[in-house]
Amino acid sequence: QNLNSSRYLRLLIMESTLEQHLDDTMKNPAVVGVLCTDQQGHNLGCRGSLSDEHGGVVSVLAKQAAALTRDPTDTPTVCLESESGNILVRSHGTITVAVHKIAS
Amino acid sequence: MGCCYSSENETTEQDPDERKPLIPHPNPVSKPPNGTDWITTNVPSARTDEQALLTSILHKTAQNIIDVSAADSVMMEQHEYMDKARQYSTKLAVLSNSLPQKKALALPSLTSQPHQVLASDLVPYSDVQQVSKIAAYAYSAISQIKVDAKEELVVQFAIP
Repeated sequence: QNLNSSRYLRLLIMESTLEQHLDDTMKNPAVVGVLCTDQQGHNLGCRGSLSDEHGGVVSVLAKQAAALTRDPTDTPTVCLESESGNILVRSHGTITVAVHKIAS
Repeated sequence: MGCCYSSENETTEQDPDERKPLIPHPNPVSKPPNGTDWITTNVPSARTDEQALLTSILHKTAQNIIDVSAADSVMMEQHEYMDKARQYSTKLAVLSNSLPQKKALALPSLTSQPHQVLASDLVPYSDVQQVSKIAAYAYSAISQIKVDAKEELVVQFAIP
């Protein structure tokens, strides 16, 4: 019982930091979806049109794009363009973020 | 193993055991190039040794062989094989129908008119900067996560 409550406590701390950031991102009127994933594609948080099942695709896209460049400090931004908007995928350190923006 | 052939001319006077390699060859099927010649030509008493050697080689080889063709013909007939293949594929088809549609993992809003998208303006650099900033901020938000230890993690389970 105590062990479980400690874990819940840890999750709550996690939510209060990252989830606030995700909420703030969604306040941008052009942003309709945002997702944050780790290197293995585990979903760390998501909003709007991007859901937790997209975590794997997003992390792999970023990983493959990073493999195209030899410079490890040169982090690429993957942009999936469509007529209704773009999905931009960008890694930072151990995490990858995807932002779905509609054409404004 | 140069020592095996270093005194080729005097082999008749020597004990055949002396010419045996100290370390047996790992693969008994592939013999050293001149080993058999030496046994058959130079040592009169080697006849039985040779037989024993051959038998052991055969034995070892037989141990290392898995006769797949024999196993196949015994286990399964052609029509039996076809039946099984059909049975498995129907089973698979049934199972894949009952599975949840996990294939619908495509990212949202893919285009049906790529030429429009390709002809449109470039992605604004401000968007790229924005996503970069969002990623950096999310990374710092995650790296700030600390476990706030308020209770003992080691607990005792229902000890009366």
